[in-house]
Amino acid sequence: MAAYKASPNHPIHPTQQRLYSTPSLSDRLQEFDRILSQDVVDLKALRRLCFTGAPEEGGRRALCWKLLLNYLPLDTNQWDETLRKKRAQYQHFVEEMVVEPARLSKNGSGNNHVDDHPLNPNPDSQWGSFFKDNEVLAQIDKDVRRLCPDIMFFQRGTNYPCRLIVDDQDVERLSHRVTHSSLTASSVTRKGLGITKMESVSRRSTTTEDYHPLSPGSEAHWEVVERILFIYAKLNPGQSYVQGMNEIIGPIYYTFASDPNEAFREMAEADCFWCFISLMGEIRDFFIRTLDESESGIGAMMNRLMANLRQHDHQLWDRLRVQELKPQFFSFRWLTLLLSQEFDLPDVIRVWDSLFADTDRFSYLIQVCTAMMVTQRDVMMENDFAGNMKILQHYPPGDIQVLLSKATELVESNGEAGIGTEASS
Amino acid sequence: MAKKTYDLLFKLLLIGDSGVGKTCILFRFSDDAFNTTFISTIGIDFKIKTIELRGKKIKLQIWDTAGQERFHTITTSYYRGAMGIMLVYDITNGKSFDNIAKWLRNIDEHANEDVEKMILGNKCDMEDKRVIAKEKGESIAREHGIRFLETSAKANINIEQAFLELAEAILNKTPGRDPQENPDNVVRPDKRSRDGGAARQCCA
Repeated sequence: MAAYKASPNHPIHPTQQRLYSTPSLSDRLQEFDRILSQDVVDLKALRRLCFTGAPEEGGRRALCWKLLLNYLPLDTNQWDETLRKKRAQYQHFVEEMVVEPARLSKNGSGNNHVDDHPLNPNPDSQWGSFFKDNEVLAQIDKDVRRLCPDIMFFQRGTNYPCRLIVDDQDVERLSHRVTHSSLTASSVTRKGLGITKMESVSRRSTTTEDYHPLSPGSEAHWEVVERILFIYAKLNPGQSYVQGMNEIIGPIYYTFASDPNEAFREMAEADCFWCFISLMGEIRDFFIRTLDESESGIGAMMNRLMANLRQHDHQLWDRLRVQELKPQFFSFRWLTLLLSQEFDLPDVIRVWDSLFADTDRFSYLIQVCTAMMVTQRDVMMENDFAGNMKILQHYPPGDIQVLLSKATELVESNGEAGIGTEASS
Repeated sequence: MAKKTYDLLFKLLLIGDSGVGKTCILFRFSDDAFNTTFISTIGIDFKIKTIELRGKKIKLQIWDTAGQERFHTITTSYYRGAMGIMLVYDITNGKSFDNIAKWLRNIDEHANEDVEKMILGNKCDMEDKRVIAKEKGESIAREHGIRFLETSAKANINIEQAFLELAEAILNKTPGRDPQENPDNVVRPDKRSRDGGAARQCCA
């Protein structure tokens, strides 16, 4: 948690300590170790454990997520081989999609006519795909520079930058590709003054200016995230990059890049890429506009949520209906982003332990969202439309454990087997 | 029901490309502060601010939308109820200006015919990075008969003015919307000479 800076309004919740108090933390850790050291991981048992929170200690959480997201196979003997292959494959993507084109652009723009550049809209421009890429990149760049601004993490340098990029002056960074083209005046000035000029002396409060690329030889975490998203967009041209994906990748990358286990931390980028791909495989339809009204789209999820609320709290459901407070106003974001914008990062990560442990993804998400409304019902029954919008769009800070307990209660009252209980019987 | 603390309710909508500063404009107006650390808006966000205009308490319900194409199904459903729409571009981003035509088409397709519109060229404090001359903004606004202002949420230039102007324009065509209103308080549209006029002065 060293990198996590609590904001004054949201102190770090003592939930984890409380959670581990029965049984003791050490008992819990042992239980995790027992399951993780088997030849074949007992997925049911792992889910049951993770459902009540995966411990960060010793990198257990990061490891559990890799398993729950189907990146690592349950057969622990295959881990090394899987990791080796997947990481090599990712490395190959980086070379092919980031390094090579960047080298081309640098050499190309030096030799050929000066007025041809990556954002040259001329159809004859040799920059055809480069130009298209840059449009996507510009969007990604805007978003990764505003990723989790509440914590001092993504602005910092990683200890494991992509050497192929940062050590080679002929390879232009992704973040430079877009700044050069869109902020002409400033990049000229920068060139004249030298890049060291951009390094600020000390950290002030966070601003977007803080999300600048670090000096040569190093790389900020947000630049790493930018690369992962760019490669994802290249590999999925139909969907490309959609805003909000940055919010999905944020907690995964943070968890992996602050993994206490150094051997894993070093490979956070590649591992995060594959886990992100895997998670997106499950929620990608939320990001596709044409599927909004399909069975797997976000519209259906919002309907599920409201039906669930109706079942558990008909009065509250009716109040929202009368106020014409539609689920799109708040739950579109809740569901699409798996609640990542609703809570502070440590709480989001805790919620995700449970979401990832959910066999029937993402039923539990629906229950957590319902719990968010139900626990505020007394205020919401009094509030007018605007007051309720405020609560739902800027959810009041509180103990995340209370919410999760409520959500689990809802699961049980539905008569469904709770994730936390199914395997214990 | 809570007691009504206002005379009129105006619904406004902020639209425009992603990253042009819609959320910052709204935050400057509602909280009188600037914050560059906003996360990207997903779907739609919402703020309320009550203003006073010609002796009337007007509650502004302002919807802030996500700029990216993906969210258009969600966001265009709000166009219909909006009485005023602010279309924002970024003076340092040529593409966001080029897209104005596209946004205007969206308004035509989804909004009420008599919706009050306004174009804002935001980030006008960043003169060294400007790529869209103010005249270009003025000219496209004039072409469509829409109000225009250059704004800066960061330097607090014309933000309040923009909202007040838009609210005023709506007020002008809202005679006796509230049944409890005195009929003699109704303002006639022809009373305002500035109406329909386009470009106004901004940061020089």
